[in-house]
Amino acid sequence: MSAATVGPERPQVVSHVQQALSYTVFDCKWVPRSARLLCLGSAARGTGVVQLYELHGARLELLREIEKPKPIKCGTFGATSLQQRYLATGDFDGNLNIWNLEAPEIPVYSVKGHKEIINSIDGVGGLGIGEGAPEIVTGSRDGTVKVWDPRQSDTPVANMEPVQGESKRDCWTVAFGNAYNQEERVVCAGYDNGDIKLFDLKTMSLRWETNIKNGVCSVEFDRKDINMNKLVATSLEGKFHVFDMRTQHPTKGFASVSEKAQKSTIWQVRHLPQNRDIFMTSGGSGSLHLWKYEYPAQRSKKDSEGCEMGVAGSVSLLQNVTLSTQPISSLDWSPDKKGLCVCGAFDQTVRVLIVTKLNKI
Amino acid sequence: MPVWLREHSWRQTLTAVYLSLPLRGARATPANIFCSEQYLKVSIPPFLFEAVLYAPIDDTNSTAKIGNGNIFFTLYKREPAMWDSLTLANADKEKLQYLRENAVLKAQEKAKEETEAKKITKQEHKKYALEATMKLEEAERKRIEDLKEKERQKVAKELELWKSQQKDGDKYKSIQKEGELHQEIEPLKERKNEKMNKTRILNEGTSKTRLKSTKGCHGSCSIFSQNLKEEQLPAPRVAATIKVNFTPRVFPTALRESRVAEEEEWLHKQAEARRIINSDLSELEDLKEEEKNPDWLKDKGNKMFAMGDYLGAVNAYNLAVRLNNKLPLLYLNRAACHLKLRNLHKAIEDSSKALELLTPAVPDNENARVKAHVRRGTAFCQLELYTEGLQDFEAALKIDPRNKNIEKDAEKIRHLIQGTMQSS
Repeated sequence: MSAATVGPERPQVVSHVQQALSYTVFDCKWVPRSARLLCLGSAARGTGVVQLYELHGARLELLREIEKPKPIKCGTFGATSLQQRYLATGDFDGNLNIWNLEAPEIPVYSVKGHKEIINSIDGVGGLGIGEGAPEIVTGSRDGTVKVWDPRQSDTPVANMEPVQGESKRDCWTVAFGNAYNQEERVVCAGYDNGDIKLFDLKTMSLRWETNIKNGVCSVEFDRKDINMNKLVATSLEGKFHVFDMRTQHPTKGFASVSEKAQKSTIWQVRHLPQNRDIFMTSGGSGSLHLWKYEYPAQRSKKDSEGCEMGVAGSVSLLQNVTLSTQPISSLDWSPDKKGLCVCGAFDQTVRVLIVTKLNKI
Repeated sequence: MPVWLREHSWRQTLTAVYLSLPLRGARATPANIFCSEQYLKVSIPPFLFEAVLYAPIDDTNSTAKIGNGNIFFTLYKREPAMWDSLTLANADKEKLQYLRENAVLKAQEKAKEETEAKKITKQEHKKYALEATMKLEEAERKRIEDLKEKERQKVAKELELWKSQQKDGDKYKSIQKEGELHQEIEPLKERKNEKMNKTRILNEGTSKTRLKSTKGCHGSCSIFSQNLKEEQLPAPRVAATIKVNFTPRVFPTALRESRVAEEEEWLHKQAEARRIINSDLSELEDLKEEEKNPDWLKDKGNKMFAMGDYLGAVNAYNLAVRLNNKLPLLYLNRAACHLKLRNLHKAIEDSSKALELLTPAVPDNENARVKAHVRRGTAFCQLELYTEGLQDFEAALKIDPRNKNIEKDAEKIRHLIQGTMQSS
């Protein structure tokens, strides 16, 4: 099962529960403040499935199953309050819906946001994390990235779309960041041609862009609700880049360190909510790698013209484990219990894992 | 003819026979001695000594000592008895022969059996060694598994503990919720109450788990501040659009570093293919290198069109077509020039040729096809062939239903047709 070494101090990835599903699972998320998790996906007959499980000892108990007309690709709890815990989902048709799981027949908010599948969704401003209005960002195959406010229906509050006449590229991933006060907010988007773009929502402008030479599968800031500190972008061909976002050089942008983990695509990166320097990447070969970022001695230095430029640190592999033969496409850490995480793979299984010894790092 | 050794001497006891055989200067080795149950032979060419013994002996335990030009045999008798003589007397030739052969066979069998026995013991030793190593490895593996199991169980226990706390928290919350429904208090104050209870529960919970107590305080602080925030959430952002430019990429698939080389090669080949197709035109010799490239000529034509030099543009396109007559865009642009020059028939020809080349109809060449239809339609209309023109405009509308200009023009033509029909 795993190539994990049983050293005395290294974190171990223990597989706690494995649940076989009868549909393809695209996203799995913990319900905040509970031991329940959600699986979102697509059933064989082309409809969307939302399943709510509860962790009972060594098994998952299915509490509720909801079927929707279109397959669901992604979901987030990021923009709801702790009491409401509404789920925002993006589906294969480009619809953004916000559901109350207690009464899931009619969505609380619904909009046909995009012409094509919504590949990725993120929320900020809810769950007591981050300041400012709750907002949801969606990235779609039609090349646009749109930011929605659940209080405003039908039109997005920000729309990042290709210039007229330009051919569109697939947007594969989006993430919020820098939401440390009411005005500041930043959206990072990764595209299939290797572009990473950073949009500043306060000034409504493009703040930074770069191209990492491989399609970008997943981007995430280490924390959404602080002054942006680190950004990890994973891509095809087994590479990921960690950008130091504290110092932006006028021409060179942000400093980065990159690592090649395995021959296959790195589908997801997720930072541990309780420690922002530890993150897990999940790969196309069904493996999970746990990494730790170490800061350099000096995070910024002056270049030849006296401009400040960032210095990237280094990344070290803490543990790796192979759980499946199919790609692990989704990963989520529990915000309440350190080390508890759920991952969903394309072999139609969802696994609950526990990573031990994270305190000793 | 072997030389028989006959000067042997022997003596016997009840259980053994001692035979001494002098060798006449010959050197003896163990290979020269052959002994079986009842037959003894020493053959050192050319010397030969053989004896068919009086009674069977135990040949495995018997010994022969070679030394001092002498072989000294110690033969242990099978049955303790005194022998009348060393050899069997009155043995006829046949019996001797038979005994000899028997002896040889028996010796061979014994040799075979010995090798068999050796093989078996060797195998058994190997098996034993293998089993021992396997046992060791099993033990090691088991030790590691046990460690893992212990970890797993420890972790599962902690999880259960945490879960039970979650459950308690949830229970209190649900009870509180029911309380909400029954009471009629201002929603604001009510919410504050609920949150206070929750923070109390959270605080209890946090003291039990390993979460630091400061986090509990933070929790309550943030919930209180969230309360205030909820009343003061900023208004939704003012809608705005940010225009995005992408790093150009010809292929619709995602970018992969490992495929970049292949893709470059493909693009290069495509570019090559679009260059000179008929290169045996003699006039081409005085053209410059770039003028032989249809793409370059097309660009030149486009520039001249933009500047208003329609005749020059037509020339450029003509040359390009001579070089490569399979590019639909050349015909399309030439059609536009002819329209401007009011060479309407030529415009119709060129648009038709362009449409021919733009089959199959794919989303990729949608724009080109719309333009071709629009140009041909315009040409028809200017020739007052309104029905044909309308057909083209409707085809264009079918490809791109959202284009308002085409719709307007189609409407105008329809009116014109109706007007002429009414009047005629």
